[in-house]
Amino acid sequence: MLLVPCPNCGPRNAGDLSYNGESHARPDPKTCTPEEWRTYLYLRDNPSGWLVENWYCSSGCRKHFKIERHTLTGELRSAILPGSKPGLTKGETK
Amino acid sequence: MAESSVSITHLDSMPKASVRAADGTAASSTLGLAFGSAEQRGDTLVVRVRPDEWYLLGDGAAAMAGGLDLSGFASTVNVTHSRHAVRVTGEHAADTLAKLCTADFGDAMTPNGAAWGNSIAGVTCDIVRDDIVSDDRTGTRSYLLLFDGSFAAYFLGALEDAASEFSLHT
Repeated sequence: MLLVPCPNCGPRNAGDLSYNGESHARPDPKTCTPEEWRTYLYLRDNPSGWLVENWYCSSGCRKHFKIERHTLTGELRSAILPGSKPGLTKGETK
Repeated sequence: MAESSVSITHLDSMPKASVRAADGTAASSTLGLAFGSAEQRGDTLVVRVRPDEWYLLGDGAAAMAGGLDLSGFASTVNVTHSRHAVRVTGEHAADTLAKLCTADFGDAMTPNGAAWGNSIAGVTCDIVRDDIVSDDRTGTRSYLLLFDGSFAAYFLGALEDAASEFSLHT
């Protein structure tokens, strides 16, 4: 069982949350190139190591948040709500 | 007759209002409460089930909701007929819910007055533990479950099935 520490609700069974994939900064569709937009939509890093992910606390507080997960060990850390400081971005680790 | 160890009581007609209010709004300040807690105020149970959402439950719900200042990002909706309410009470109430839910029903994590959202039998529910804050069931474990009425038939079946190993009374 994976215990995901929601910033509001505390540790919750992963089954109570929705996994929304890797966290990517959304490029500005008005100025980005088609290649950048395609990369944003379809390409994922899928690293063996720390990864910033988006989760949604669907059964609890109904808030989206970001968290770092180690894809090899399953360890989780640094859960934050959007807009919190400092923000996590793709590829960034604590 | 021995006292039933679990009882399931339908509260279909209990007035319910949902209040959504952002931090800093008048409605948020008026309702207050810490996230994840409930408090009886007169004939209304006030529940802060999410950081920006409250439930007002009981006969005074409509009056309390109607009296809120809804300026800013705040709104209120009467959910009496869209949210179904069931009370699970008794010695084995927590054991019954633990069969269907991942939450820790121990006193350390969910003491009396706790309120939280969780999935029970796959149905998203809002749960309030109100052993002593409402009605006359003083001192008895009691959980108030709120869930979408469209799941009622399935959900109540699952609940009764889970309670069947104990002395169920409906």
